[in-house]
Amino acid sequence: MEYGYYPGCSLTGSAHRLDKGIKKVFAKQGHTLREIPDWNCCGAFEYGDRKELTGFSKRNLEKARGHFSEIVAPCPACYKNLKEADEEREFAVTHPLDLFDEAFFAAMKQARDLTGQVFTPYYGCILLRPKETAIQNTNIMEETIARFGGEVSGEAVKDRCCGGNQIFINKDVTEKLSRLVLDRSQGTIVVFCPLCHMAMKTFSGERKVVYYTDLLLHIMGEGGAL
Amino acid sequence: MPKTEQALELTDYGRQDFAVCLGCKICASVCTVNDLSPGTNPQEMLQRLFLGQDVAADEPLVRFCTGCYRCTGACPWEIRIPEVIRALRHELGTESPFEKAFKGSVSLFGRVYEPYVLMKAVPFLLKGGYMKHVTRWMEYVGFHLPHKVKGM
Ligand code: SF4
Ligand code: SF4
Repeated sequence: MEYGYYPGCSLTGSAHRLDKGIKKVFAKQGHTLREIPDWNCCGAFEYGDRKELTGFSKRNLEKARGHFSEIVAPCPACYKNLKEADEEREFAVTHPLDLFDEAFFAAMKQARDLTGQVFTPYYGCILLRPKETAIQNTNIMEETIARFGGEVSGEAVKDRCCGGNQIFINKDVTEKLSRLVLDRSQGTIVVFCPLCHMAMKTFSGERKVVYYTDLLLHIMGEGGAL
Repeated sequence: MPKTEQALELTDYGRQDFAVCLGCKICASVCTVNDLSPGTNPQEMLQRLFLGQDVAADEPLVRFCTGCYRCTGACPWEIRIPEVIRALRHELGTESPFEKAFKGSVSLFGRVYEPYVLMKAVPFLLKGGYMKHVTRWMEYVGFHLPHKVKGM
């Protein structure tokens, strides 16, 4: 299947790992991602004026019109902004996690399992709230980890805020909030958001921080140890 | 017009919309800012907005709200408190150097070009003690040229 792809700014920069991971996972599953031509920034959370903020994503939808009906946006902020700007629900604005259904796993070639390893799927905020834009199955990563034999930790903190969007404003806020998540969870931290990745990575010490795409590709046999 | 009124004009809310607030303080019980500044209560801020009173730029809620939407998720009316706070920050002019650089990049290129943002924020990053984290951030480094979005 062919999807429109909205990488957003961070996936073309500091979150290039997530961008490559998504592209690889989709390719391996037999799907094509085609970038929305000349897309612009979604505005993330930086604009106090709602009209200005949705204006950015409306421009992107305009550019997608006629080319795609389904748009995949991996960054939680981009995903939320695009979905909210699509007031008439003209497009299916989709987060990759919502594509993880039985057919997805049936098509997935498993080369490794996760037996004996502990993971904390850390969703953070925007994939879970507000309800209108939340992903459909808020246990999808726990189910995925368990499906491949891994152990799940951090249930109580999976929806806490890491303070990532304050990291370049009040770093102490991010440190305090990220540590609350880190202290109440175990094993490798699996994240979905570039800001969560940065917040966790900055304060995780020896703990590993990976994107969910890293984990999927690991199960599919890519690369060495996680 | 008071700043708080102007801020509300930027949101999907008007003052009267907060009349539905039940005062249940569920928002306060889940608000992330409580982990940083105990006793924070978004409902109290909404009440002041409803009454047309001021909200100050240095209040913990205005400074530290992370936009986590925990309040919205728990509120019976799903009031989007972080969007109100974001508008207040805008109106009160509390943007950090980083936020200014972000917006600067968007006006210049139509996208956030991280090297530009970092360059603009260097003095802040040096002063703020960010350099000690740089070794942990090496995996984020990569080179690409800026893209200029047409018509932005
Ligand atoms: S979005 Fe802001 S006000 Fe709402 S719970 Fe989070 S930190 Fe508190
Ligand atoms: S949770 Fe909603 S209704 Fe209850 S006090 Fe907070 S804003 Fe008001």
